[in-house]
Formats: sequence, structure tokens, C-alpha cells
Amino acid sequence: MIASYLFFKGCTIPASLPNVEKLAREILPEIGINLVESDEFTCCPDPIRLQGASQYFWMASAARNIAIAEEKKLNIMTLCNGCENTLAIVNYKLRKNSELKRRVNEVLKEIGREFKGTIKVRHFLQILKEDIGLNNLKKMIKNPLTGLKVAGHPGCHLLMPNDILKFDNPVDPEFYDQFIAALGATPVDYLTKSDCCGVSLSLAGDQEASNRCIQNKLIDIQLSGARFISTACPACFNQFDFGQIIAARDYPQLQEKPIPVLYAIELLALAMGRSFDDIGYNLHRIKIPVEEMV
Amino acid sequence: MKVLRLKFEKNEIIKKNTAVEICFKCSTCSKFCPITQNVNKYNLEDSFVTQLFEAEKPEALNDVWMCCACEKCVITCPQDTNPTEAFTNLKEKSYQEGHAPNIVYRLVDQLLQEGTVYSIKFTNTARKRAGLQEIAKNEKSVCEINILAEKTGLKRREGQK
Repeated sequence: MIASYLFFKGCTIPASLPNVEKLAREILPEIGINLVESDEFTCCPDPIRLQGASQYFWMASAARNIAIAEEKKLNIMTLCNGCENTLAIVNYKLRKNSELKRRVNEVLKEIGREFKGTIKVRHFLQILKEDIGLNNLKKMIKNPLTGLKVAGHPGCHLLMPNDILKFDNPVDPEFYDQFIAALGATPVDYLTKSDCCGVSLSLAGDQEASNRCIQNKLIDIQLSGARFISTACPACFNQFDFGQIIAARDYPQLQEKPIPVLYAIELLALAMGRSFDDIGYNLHRIKIPVEEMV
Repeated sequence: MKVLRLKFEKNEIIKKNTAVEICFKCSTCSKFCPITQNVNKYNLEDSFVTQLFEAEKPEALNDVWMCCACEKCVITCPQDTNPTEAFTNLKEKSYQEGHAPNIVYRLVDQLLQEGTVYSIKFTNTARKRAGLQEIAKNEKSVCEINILAEKTGLKRREGQK
């Protein structure tokens, strides 16, 4: 069965991981997700810095994005943990708090829009879990990724706040590993799975701390025997990919055994029969020849 | 055990986060906080949370922007306080008073100019390389968020409209 969702691309994926956007359009219809496009959306806005600038503006801008989907009577599908976090939190808070909703609608009225609280906002992993189901996904897989050892990193903003996102256990997350297994690959457990990737430390100017943070995870992943990392957050992806190269300047052990990262959509595309060339592996910063990895 | 006191404008912060007052400085959150774990000057005795809450002007410290709202502190706090929310309130104060890192003001400017936090020119260079259609600025959307910025009182850097 095909269901339609309004595609919320966000800012980072179109700019920094355009191959992921391209793959989403190609692959998701094959598993029953029909993407409807809109060019009316603006930045979600991001939960770390733009929420910090002004919570009222952050909430009103997110509510505007949600109101666009409500006008089209479609649920939103996001590809990015940050977009999901912002839109889901605002959607939840405005539904629960009528005073907040009134304040936000007061400014939305100025642009002829209204937040009603009639749609759902979900990350594509949530749609896989809740609408499609991993058992059904398994049946649609064309090329099981047998023998591929993958360490999953769900990312903080898809796990917390858990009372709103209700996606997975935030302390010991399981769904990402189940997703990897559904694709025929082998999920590899490691101690720091639910830990932060550290990207915000470098964004705030402490590169040394950011390097230490990602190094802790990468050493754990090296020890676990995984050959790839996989995540569904573009900020974490960039930290694992380019950030790994930067961290390797401080930690030579990372240079000896670099670990490439695959976006969840890229991993899914491989399982749907695409090649490493097709998924844009060449655009990654860490691109260990695949023959060595599989 | 020392009870954590908020030195600076205690009432103002507590008004927004009443739960913060019951923090008894057990350091449980700090064991899981990526900032205390990885930034050299912090440790369990003198953690990010402690330094920030005890600072004279916490909003003037660049470090408040290190918080990525991962909410590890929220999960682990035995007193059910919400430090993440307190940090977001401090970020807001920091931004309003002009103490936020330049990048945050630049992000706001970029968002209000083109509706996205990456320049469209940069975005399209990457898209061409990946064989994707270029994106264009949606004037109506940009106009709408500028109205929202004005009506919600979002402060701009001096010299910006």
C-alpha cells in the first residue's frame, strides 16, 4: 500500500548531502512511501542554536511549517533528526498547551496561517517502524546485505524527549539495530551507542573536545568489529565523516583504521539493489574501497 | 554536600525553571553530559552544569552554546529537574544581550534572507555535483518568516533590519 507524506527536506540534507535527498526520492516509493513536494517550507528551525536565539520565533516558524502541511492535509516526513526534533516538539507542545497555541496563532494570523494540530510529524525511521513495519520491509528487500557489519548511531534528537517522540529506549536504543538486521546486515553493539557525536562542541568553538568526543565512539566502534557506521542525522553524519578526518589529527589510531559512514537511506538503497556508485559513496570524505570492507 | 545556588539573577532563571532549584549537585547528569566528559576544564567536581549555574553571568559564557540539547541530563537527573530547558533559556538571554557566538547571529541573518540556514548559492553548487535540480528562493516564504521574526520580537544584530 502506498501512503503519501509531505517531504520536509530541511537545510542540511539539500546542501550537504544532496545524494541522500536524491536517493530518498528514488528508493522510498519502492517501499510504499510516496513523497509530495513543497517549496513553501523554511528551515525547521534547528533545536540547538535557533531555538536558543528566540524560543517564540522558533516555535512560530516551526508552527508555520506544520500549518503548510495541515493546509495540504498531509502528514510530514523528515529525513533529519534535527528537523524531526523541532517539528515534533512544537507540534506536541502547541496541541497540549492552549495558551501557547493562542500566542503562536496570534502571530501566524499576520501571515494568514493557523496551527490547528491536525497532522503527524515523523522521521522516515518512525514511518518504517509504525506504518510499514520491519517485517514488511524485509519482504521488499532485493539485495540482503549479508555479511556487512554495521554499527548504528540513532542520534540524540531522535531519542529525546522520549515522552514526545516515543521512538525508542533513549538509554539502550534497539530500533536502529533492528533496521540494520531487517536489511540483512549484521548490527554490531557497542558501549557508546546512545552517546552524543560531539558536533555541537566544535560548533561552539572547542574542536579539541569535539575530537575527543567522536574519538571515544570511533574507538568503541573499531573494537566492536563493525566495518561501517550508519546514522539518520546529517549533523552526526558529517561529524562521523569529515569530523573523523579532523579528529584523526589528534588521534593517530583513527588514521590507521578509518570507518566509513552510511546514511540510513544509503544503507536502505544498497539493500534495494543499488551499488556503492549509485548511492554517491564517492561524495563521502571517508571512502575506503568497498572490496576491502565487505 | 554543597547545595547548588544560582548566583546570578536566581529568581529570573527559577521563574522559568522552578525544578532547577531542587538540584542537589549530585553530578549524576555530569557523568553523561558530553560537555563535562570532553571539555578539558570541566570534571565531576566542577562540571559544566555547576560552572554555568554558579557563574556571575552565565549567559555571557560562550560555553552555554555547547549544549546540544541531547537531554542526557534530563534522562538521568534523580530530582527530575530539566537542565536542558534552563540552558535554552540561558542561550536566549545570551542571544538577546549580544553575547552569543557570531555564528548564531549569522544563522539568523541567513535564515531571514533566504529561508534556509545554508546559502542557496552554496547549496546549488553541491546539488549540481550530485545531479540534482537547483533550488530557488521562495520570496513569499521569506517574507512570511520575516513578519514572524518581527512579530515575535526576534532581535537582530545591529545594522541589520
